[in-house]
Amino acid sequence: MRKVTLFLMVALVLLTVCFSGLALGKTYRFYVISHGGPGDPFWGVVMKGMEDAAAFVNKGNPDGDVIEATYLGPAKYSIEELVNMLNSAIATKPDGMAVTITDPASVEGPLRKAIEQGIPVIAINVPDPRPEGERIPYLFYIGGDEYLSGKKAAERILATGKPKRAIVTIHEIGHIGLELRAKGFIEVMTANGVPAEKLATYLDPTQAIEILKSYFAKNPDTDAIFTLGSIDSSYVLAFLREQGLIGKVKHAAFDVCDEVVAAIKEGATLFTISQQQYLQGYLPIIYLYLYNKYRFLPANDILTGPGFVDASNVQLVEELVKKKFW
Amino acid sequence: MESRRHSLLFAQLLGSIQRCPGFEALAGLVVLFAVFSFTATRFLTLESLAGIVTVASELGIVACGVTLLMISGEFDLSVGSVFGFSAMVFASLSNVGVPLVIGFVLALLVAFFIGWTNGLITVKFHIPSFITTLGTMMLWRGVLLAWTGGFGVRFWGKSLFLDVLNGQFFGGFRASALWFVVLVAICNFALTRTPYGNSVYATGGSREAARLLGIPVDRVKVVNFIIVAVLSGLAGCVQFARFASVDPLRGQGMELEAIAATVVGGTLMSGGHGSLVGTLFGVLLIGMVRSGLVMSGAPAYWYQAFVGVILIIAVIINTKLREWAK
Repeated sequence: MRKVTLFLMVALVLLTVCFSGLALGKTYRFYVISHGGPGDPFWGVVMKGMEDAAAFVNKGNPDGDVIEATYLGPAKYSIEELVNMLNSAIATKPDGMAVTITDPASVEGPLRKAIEQGIPVIAINVPDPRPEGERIPYLFYIGGDEYLSGKKAAERILATGKPKRAIVTIHEIGHIGLELRAKGFIEVMTANGVPAEKLATYLDPTQAIEILKSYFAKNPDTDAIFTLGSIDSSYVLAFLREQGLIGKVKHAAFDVCDEVVAAIKEGATLFTISQQQYLQGYLPIIYLYLYNKYRFLPANDILTGPGFVDASNVQLVEELVKKKFW
Repeated sequence: MESRRHSLLFAQLLGSIQRCPGFEALAGLVVLFAVFSFTATRFLTLESLAGIVTVASELGIVACGVTLLMISGEFDLSVGSVFGFSAMVFASLSNVGVPLVIGFVLALLVAFFIGWTNGLITVKFHIPSFITTLGTMMLWRGVLLAWTGGFGVRFWGKSLFLDVLNGQFFGGFRASALWFVVLVAICNFALTRTPYGNSVYATGGSREAARLLGIPVDRVKVVNFIIVAVLSGLAGCVQFARFASVDPLRGQGMELEAIAATVVGGTLMSGGHGSLVGTLFGVLLIGMVRSGLVMSGAPAYWYQAFVGVILIIAVIINTKLREWAK
């Protein structure tokens, strides 16, 4: 009988300790909402960043806090669906949201409402381009700077020697991010006396290569190409190989993929730019947690890009691409 | 009396022009060729012509099927998705060690199945093919995106079979041009010299009259759906053979270019009238516009606008010729 009583007392104490421990911690619900679906490899990396950050905070948290992070994004690019998802998320009164401001006019209403309700909001991937006073009053922005990326790409190419003529291939005409990259690149090249222009290559590789051939036939002095995404990088590399121009034409790329990594190792591509989008999923979760808990805020926007992959770090990045960090 | 004879002669002349297949597209081709010869540097070179033929060939293989189907009074909007899906099947099987020939045949079988279902759904449920294939266009593109997670597939091996499909054989000309010419010849023979060709025209001309004549209109349509899908799959595999890589967006937008080339070539969207020779000129014309514009120094952004104008002019000429010939 005494043994049973002792056992029950010990069990009671243990249970009390356990429950008091749980009661100390708080569960934080965060959403990452973007215009890109989880099927897109780019957003797959962002999603992994978000999950890793939540797991990092949850594991052995001294206060017993728990983060529940959820990724929402339409399977196919759709602003309407993004807004629907945003409204659904706001309705659950979360402890914080990270949102892409892909179309400021469409997300302005719901986001202002959320911010008025006291929900902390961080912009990721695409900021609101308007000045501070006019823009949606989110806390700060975490993401790349497209215009700066284009400028840096041009500067890096120029540092290896001044080209005679440079082009930027653009595979999705009208994509504001791509246009900004091209703008930054062309401005720096032109300022340094290098004739530079955009060349629309579209999505079909056969057509893209014939367009490049036609351009080179007209402008045979072209000796630098900046490609704005992995799709056109692939076409341009095929073109350079077929025409025997590897090593004669400087190639700089955007985004990290198997083919570009192989080309950097081979010496066909000088470098590629990454937005390091893993950080666009990871950092908002950490910052939202720290903001909720201690009201910490960085003094400025946080730029995750342009990050560079070149001959100096390509081996390491190759491993990390396989693990979905890049 | 004299003026009546003249107008009769004019009508007869127009009638014979009207009977001459692909006349409008040929006229457009000659005019554009002449213009680009003056405006574009290096346009009149073998390399440039080879480029035009290469672009036209892959689109043309698809357009052959689209022409047959359109003459029989139906549409297929899923050709771009089938193009990408078949290429992905071929690439994925090649990567897991399946012999290339077997992978190729299996990819075409998948295309066959998609075409067959397109046809069956359209004729059995009496759904307009525009709607059926709009649905299957989204379905197969969606399956492709979900299957690949948005990642492209690259085949690193080399093979004689890939060269047979799309190797370089003379100057800048590629094997795809041979495939295209052979397929135009076969389809043209089938359409103009066989009872099946008569059935195709009759089915598209007047469905009920054709049925009363004992023509199995449903079967003719299903067979044409299968032909267009298999040819789209073939074009996808041919393109993969050149680049050894496929991305899940491959072939997007191809459906509209194939329809544009077919319509420019004089095939009626309402069915019952059209020719493979016209389509041959139509795809060459569309292939030429892009190279010609780039070589003329026009911003490649104008390409789509230019094709749009050509399409409208071609249809106006077609309609007017038909009215005058009456």
